[in-house]
Amino acid sequence: MRHGVFPARFAPLLTSVAAIAAAMVLGGLFLAIRGKDPIAAYGMLASRGLGTSYGITETLIRMAPLLIVSAGLLISLRAGVWNIGIDGQLMVGALFAGVAAAAVAGQIANPLMWVIAALAGMGGGLLWALVPGILRVRWGLNEIITTLMMNYVALNVTSWLVKGPVKDPSVVPPQTVLIPREMRLPAIPETGVHVGLVVGLIVVVLVTILFRHTVIGFMLDVVGRNRQAAIHAGMPVNRLTLVALLASGALAGLAGANDILGVKGLFQGNWNPGYGFAAFALVYLARLNSLWIIPFAYFLSFLAIGGEMMARPLGIPTYFVEMLEGLMLICFAVATYFERMRSPFGHQEEVETGPANAGEAPEALVGEPLLEPVAQPTGGRP
Amino acid sequence: MNRSGRRQTGDGQITPAAALSPHRPSPITHHPVTRSPIVQMRDISKRFGPVLANDRISLDLWPGEVHAVLGENGAGKTTLMNVLAGMYQPDAGTIRIAGEEVQITSPADALRRGIGTVYQHFTLVPNLSILENVVLGAEGGFLVDLGAAEAKVASMLGEFGLDVSPQTEIRHLALGQRQRIEIIKVLFRGTRVLLLDEPTSVLTPGEVTSLLELLRRLRDQGVAVVLITHKLGEALAVSDRVTILRGGRAVGDLGPDVMSGANRESVRQRIVEQMFGGSQPSGSHLPTASAQNRVIPRNEESRLQDVHGGGELRFFAGAQNGMSPAELLSLRGISTSGDRGSPPLHDLSLDLNSGEVFGIAGVDGNGQKELGEVIAGQRPVTSGKILLNGVDITNRGVAVATRLGIGYVTDDRLHEGSVAGSSITDNVALKSIGRKPFSNGFWLNRRAMEEQARRLITEFDVKTPGPDTAIGTLSGGNIQKLLLARELALEPKLLICNKPTTGLDLRTARFVIQSLRDQADAGKVVVLISSELDELLEISDRIGVMYNGQLVAVIPRAAADLETIGNLMLGGTRRPRRVPA
Amino acid sequence: MTAGGIPLAAFITAMLAAGLVAAAPLVLAALGEAVGEKSGLLNLGIEGMMLSGAFFGFYAAYQTGGALWGVLAGIAVGLTLGLLFAVLTVSLRVDQVLVGLAITIFGGGLTAFLYRDIFGGQNPSLSVDTPRIAIPALSGIPILGDAMFNQGLLFYLAFLLVSVFAFLLARTRFGLQVRAVGEHPFAADASGVDVTRTRYLAALIAGAMAGLAGAFLSVADLKIFQVGMTVGTGFIALALTMVGGWNPYRILLASVLFGLLRSLGNGLQILGIDVRTEFITMLPYIGIMVALALLAGRTSLPAALGVPYARGRR
Repeated sequence: MRHGVFPARFAPLLTSVAAIAAAMVLGGLFLAIRGKDPIAAYGMLASRGLGTSYGITETLIRMAPLLIVSAGLLISLRAGVWNIGIDGQLMVGALFAGVAAAAVAGQIANPLMWVIAALAGMGGGLLWALVPGILRVRWGLNEIITTLMMNYVALNVTSWLVKGPVKDPSVVPPQTVLIPREMRLPAIPETGVHVGLVVGLIVVVLVTILFRHTVIGFMLDVVGRNRQAAIHAGMPVNRLTLVALLASGALAGLAGANDILGVKGLFQGNWNPGYGFAAFALVYLARLNSLWIIPFAYFLSFLAIGGEMMARPLGIPTYFVEMLEGLMLICFAVATYFERMRSPFGHQEEVETGPANAGEAPEALVGEPLLEPVAQPTGGRP
Repeated sequence: MNRSGRRQTGDGQITPAAALSPHRPSPITHHPVTRSPIVQMRDISKRFGPVLANDRISLDLWPGEVHAVLGENGAGKTTLMNVLAGMYQPDAGTIRIAGEEVQITSPADALRRGIGTVYQHFTLVPNLSILENVVLGAEGGFLVDLGAAEAKVASMLGEFGLDVSPQTEIRHLALGQRQRIEIIKVLFRGTRVLLLDEPTSVLTPGEVTSLLELLRRLRDQGVAVVLITHKLGEALAVSDRVTILRGGRAVGDLGPDVMSGANRESVRQRIVEQMFGGSQPSGSHLPTASAQNRVIPRNEESRLQDVHGGGELRFFAGAQNGMSPAELLSLRGISTSGDRGSPPLHDLSLDLNSGEVFGIAGVDGNGQKELGEVIAGQRPVTSGKILLNGVDITNRGVAVATRLGIGYVTDDRLHEGSVAGSSITDNVALKSIGRKPFSNGFWLNRRAMEEQARRLITEFDVKTPGPDTAIGTLSGGNIQKLLLARELALEPKLLICNKPTTGLDLRTARFVIQSLRDQADAGKVVVLISSELDELLEISDRIGVMYNGQLVAVIPRAAADLETIGNLMLGGTRRPRRVPA
Repeated sequence: MTAGGIPLAAFITAMLAAGLVAAAPLVLAALGEAVGEKSGLLNLGIEGMMLSGAFFGFYAAYQTGGALWGVLAGIAVGLTLGLLFAVLTVSLRVDQVLVGLAITIFGGGLTAFLYRDIFGGQNPSLSVDTPRIAIPALSGIPILGDAMFNQGLLFYLAFLLVSVFAFLLARTRFGLQVRAVGEHPFAADASGVDVTRTRYLAALIAGAMAGLAGAFLSVADLKIFQVGMTVGTGFIALALTMVGGWNPYRILLASVLFGLLRSLGNGLQILGIDVRTEFITMLPYIGIMVALALLAGRTSLPAALGVPYARGRR
């Protein structure tokens, strides 16, 4: 753009970086008000999170599910679909994966077992996204509410299944049969990080390829950026919407499978890691650009792990990091306003904002254009 | 049921006699004596980006007069009205109300000063009752005292010939009824200056008559009525004063002396010339009067045949055995359901022949865009058939239409035609992304896309830093070139262009128009929808005129002239055709 | 008659009471959300606002020992977050869903942090006095009386506010303006309504009610705070707002049904009836989706919901 030295395609990152910086400052102020030393806190965060091999290993392990979930969320947001049901899809996927893995573990080669579990996980997540998808496409029900509700249904369904039909009868707590450590995903050689990270990176690369090099990715992008243009160009808009939601759900399910196969070995009742919100922050900060997910996933994982590591010595509850994520998103919202004011489109926002670009106002609860995600304003080009 | 019954009663009441029974003053002779204008607008200018919508317009409004502001779409009428209504702040110029200079800062401010506006797109909230809409925005305490207003509103409803309860929700009312509610709403607030923007565009002819009667009555009560319209007939019928806008400037002003003069025909003539750029000078415009004499680059002039004589004019190319071999597309009895703000198409039939430019004239919002969308497969039809080369493509959708060779360049370049934030490359490939060369159905061929973008940029002389540039950052002309190039690259048999030259500089406009003519000369069909009569006359072989969702006339080029088409567009009847030289 | 050793009447009373108490915060939050949505604002921050109301309400009541201070603190923090929401979505015209989620995430983190930071590993409960007020005569009605008319003040307030909000939306100038602004902001503007001011007020009301609902949970009902204690109550209120079609009385009905279904799960378990609680617990959520699907096409969303307004840009 106009910032001579800075390549234009990195300009959207400035907004994110500014938002993160502002959030860190606000968070530091907050710590100071609470009588803690923010310099010490951030210092320890950095030194423990980045400077210790334990910190780095844990960060990389945490990254894997975040990468997968965020890649999925990115697909739906790029296509203009709000999938707020990530957590539910992930839980169902994890349960399916846990059950499938336990069923075949030891009877077939481990790699085959992993594949089966991964497929089962994806199937579970897909199934959970299918309900809101059909409600949206057939009845026009807005997916925000339905995906949210499906989260709570997932909580109950998995809790019931794990207490009853798929419970490991040999133990008391509600959980699936444990997959022995030696049958779980192996570590990447020379590290303590399981190969889920590689899977995560592959998923991100695949999603990048999807949007850069395939027809379907191209079309999903167009639907998200300008639904009317997609209709004008003769694209199957409804089918694309459904595809985006299903793909997003399937990847959430895969992330669940990753945690089962890589870390936990079993599904426990009421286990809900709550990656959904973190993924939202992440995908927005990455400006809906799939490759940028990688550094931001590392950053957020680092914050989470560093936050855990500094918690005890400094007496700063780990929830500080969650608060920071919220602050980042709030600062990000403000930053996009300034970005918009400075852009060449500044005076004609409708080019940029989701809701307006849909063009048609909904008459009924059939809310096609209602509340489209802001794929446009926040989205950098891949 | 109940609802339709109510509507019927309402319509029954909207007759001039019923609405105006007690005292009907003679519409022509009676003028209250007025001393000074109530509103004086001086040298009002308003710019939107590159467009100077109002260029030093001055306008006086007098109490007890109906003042028509006439002009084509884009002439600046609505902007001028919005300035007075407080929606826009003028960039320059002054407004005086009753002699006192004022700044109208908001619509609320305008209402307080006695200026009430009835917008073309009604400003009634559909799920609120009549009563609630009328008191909405009025000043008052914490509670809305609907009871106190109810009696007054009820009596106004009666006075305006509306037999409905004030408790009726707006969404149950017919358009004509809603408009009266709009008028009641602003009068309720003590309006002295009543602005109406294209008030008749949604009305049936009967409703128009009674609306005009109503306006006369308000005038006689001393209200300054401003009628913003492009329909000449109604302006002539009711106005005491006419101002003509063109290209953002006031180009003509006819006072009561002229308007009440005997020679209506000469007044009409004068206004048409001023509006559409006849012989009246209006500054820097093209000498459009010569359009009729321009040599048209058309090599098949000799085919022209007037087969029906004086009735509906059609001409056929080649054989006349019912379905001519050159006939490419046939619309048979097409009807659509209307959506917000656009009239439905009704029983529209049209045959298009290879090698012709079929021009469609009409004032905005008379169904031209809908017709274009129907042909392109973008708008479903409720009845009728569309045949392309004899193949039924009715309601088969855009993808099928595109594949079978129908191209469509929309008038909404930024919101429909292109994805503004995406690159030129992506936009160039938008419509045929699933096909070679841009993809094999799954994998994109980015190189082919980019090559195509570069080729079109060069070929159509698009000014851009490169194919990666976001298309939304280009000028309107360059976007238009790309959209046209995109369609042409698909080698359509039929190309629909909706207002392809709007907002373009002269050179680009010439280029676009010439490209369309070339397409037809190469044997394609071009459907050119335009409100620029000059360009229609320049390249069309036939011109269809649309009014109120119907194709009211199809005229061969040889028989078409500005005046005839202008009249038809304005809802007039066809005037006796002058014999072409 | 007895059920599981408990007299049946007492059992039903207890279940009714539990259901109604569960419905009260939903009603409070949903009423505020209804005003917000009617004005065109979809507030997904409601969950974070509720949680914040719960924490700050709890903390204020804990410090002062007065339930009233707790309630006021809950409202105050709700107002603050409502203002933040309004600034971002109305003035800066940032996407409402993004801002709402941001506030929800922030609220979750902030309250959890403060709770742990202030109370460490302890989980104190409030010793504030929120007396049950038995309404004479009515509380004597068999079965219903004790459930409906022997409750705390805030409980009555929640149900009283239903009528207040119905009146506010239907009969006041502000309510009229809210309805117009959410449906057709251009029309409202042209009629002289200040769209921005109306939406700000609506956002503040939505925030205040969410904060109050949170304070009800922590101060009046449970007398404790727990990290993430709302567990989606805010989002459920949001859904119930839509199920209730923005009508306060129908919102009340939907909320009470939801609350009762929820208490039914616990009740059946107490009775020893072998129905998996999970099935009962998830019924309300499925019910919401089914209700929305059935209502689709019949209820109409405020037409301008989610759409920012700027004059001159239609």
